[in-house]
Amino acid sequence: MNVIGTKTLLSKEVRRFLRVPGQTVLSPLISTSLYFVVFGYSLGGRVQEVGAIPYIIFIVPGLVFMGMANNSFLNTSSSLFITKLQGTVVDLLAAPLGPTELLLGFIGGGMVRGLVVGLLTWAVAAAFTGFRLAHVLPTLGFVIIVTYVFSMLGFLTGLWAEKFEQINFFPIFVMLPLTFLGGVFYSVEALPEPWHSISLFNPMVYMVEGLRYGMLGSSSLSPALGASILGVVAVVATAFAYAALRSGYKLRV
Amino acid sequence: MLEVRDLVKRFGALTALDGVTLDIRAGEIFALLGPNGAGKTTLIGAVCGLIRKTSGTVKLFGIDLDQDPVSPKYQVGLVPQEINFDPFFTVSESLFIQLGYYGKRRDPARVTEVLRALSLDEKASSPTRALSGGMKRRLLIAKALVHAPRLVFLDEPTAGVDVELRRDLWSYVRKLQTGGTTIILTTHYLEEAEELADRVGIINDGKLLLVEEKSALIRRLGEKKLEVRFKQKIEGLPEHLWSAGAVLSADGCRLSYVERKGRPSVGEILRLIYAAHLPVEDVETRRSRLEDVLLLVLRGAPKPEPASVPAREETLRGDELLGVAVRDK
Repeated sequence: MNVIGTKTLLSKEVRRFLRVPGQTVLSPLISTSLYFVVFGYSLGGRVQEVGAIPYIIFIVPGLVFMGMANNSFLNTSSSLFITKLQGTVVDLLAAPLGPTELLLGFIGGGMVRGLVVGLLTWAVAAAFTGFRLAHVLPTLGFVIIVTYVFSMLGFLTGLWAEKFEQINFFPIFVMLPLTFLGGVFYSVEALPEPWHSISLFNPMVYMVEGLRYGMLGSSSLSPALGASILGVVAVVATAFAYAALRSGYKLRV
Repeated sequence: MLEVRDLVKRFGALTALDGVTLDIRAGEIFALLGPNGAGKTTLIGAVCGLIRKTSGTVKLFGIDLDQDPVSPKYQVGLVPQEINFDPFFTVSESLFIQLGYYGKRRDPARVTEVLRALSLDEKASSPTRALSGGMKRRLLIAKALVHAPRLVFLDEPTAGVDVELRRDLWSYVRKLQTGGTTIILTTHYLEEAEELADRVGIINDGKLLLVEEKSALIRRLGEKKLEVRFKQKIEGLPEHLWSAGAVLSADGCRLSYVERKGRPSVGEILRLIYAAHLPVEDVETRRSRLEDVLLLVLRGAPKPEPASVPAREETLRGDELLGVAVRDK
């Protein structure tokens, strides 16, 4: 195991997104703040409460989830894709960095960005609503596994993509609709049938509800189920990424 | 150091490497020559882990890359042919990152040393995107050397680098060799291979046509050309010059002769010219360069046989004895 190599790659990945903070940290912060203001205040005035929780507080975990998931994904997918595009992938392939080192470095970088954005989003929300953290450890667990899973999915996308357009495919066509329909802004419990049952097929619902349980102390679905789904996705995605790196898929001709 | 056995790489219907077998000796500078698309970069890529080989084995420092593709890489440096740079980082940051990838701790003294050797020290804090093409090329070389590898691949290291810096680079490569580094080089400037290489390998259509000591190869396949200009027009050559193979130009003012195996030496021809009291004004000789030899091999010149290497040293001495101006073009 090349420990120094892994640390170097990880720190490079973190410095890379910190070099362009406007794009990587500030811009997601502004968009989630806008969601918060628009949905929380304008809509919150009408919805009032969701299951005894004021609407403006109810949407905080979902917004934190969105910030973490999107940014973890974007960091690994765009970093790996740009590395391929500008040819510096040669440096990684020629160096004594095996699949484990490459995954730890890239995924670690994505997780750090997801955590930074998630934390900042939470801080902005707390400025409006006050701090609220019901269960520390479950929250921490969800935060880590969410950033891990989406960093890994981003890594796989960056590996597979040959055009810039393909990088955006997953976030726009899969993540965005599933998150918006995943109970960020409403409780799936309140949906009429068949939408309620259909929603239960959306894995994002369990992730958002899991984080909601951790942060607010109550959720309409079992947090254990959310954790299990994330765990399975994490294992499968990691296995795919490891096998792809070992075989040299799309990296070595 | 490096053992390649029956290496084959196919890209669909194209066979880029067709059963290459090659041994690189520790401490040598080996030049891999051949036309574009011959397989030079593919061969380097297969050794450095950029390419998935179709069949064959590659052993680096005695380790089969199929068994352990990672650990031999600590000792290898690669200057890729395509310029690449990470625009997010400065020149010296790029080198620190490279050091780290190879498992080495942050070492500012080493980075400064390599930057200085490649005349990049003034650009240490510049963003890599602000470098000129030649500087980017030198940064690639610095990145390949910063972790002090035992084996370095230089794939077209001086493309786009100006003449003066190219000379500096050559002397640096020789210095590396003196320090015990083994170097494998591909280049379009045959002068570079001629200047640096101990041995050359000539590859074409994915086949390694020949591997030979550079000087032996030039001796074996090289020619020496003689051209004599006369003060005035000559009416025909004496018979013994003409029968030896010397040719008089149509205007009668120039004599040319090509020394080959089995023919009189250039020195002997000069002796005959002076003996015939021809009015010599100027004498030029030109010896084959690696470039000429490469073309011969690509056109199908014979492979080396130890017994067929002719000794040519006497002909050189012949020129000197006659005391004529010998200009080597």
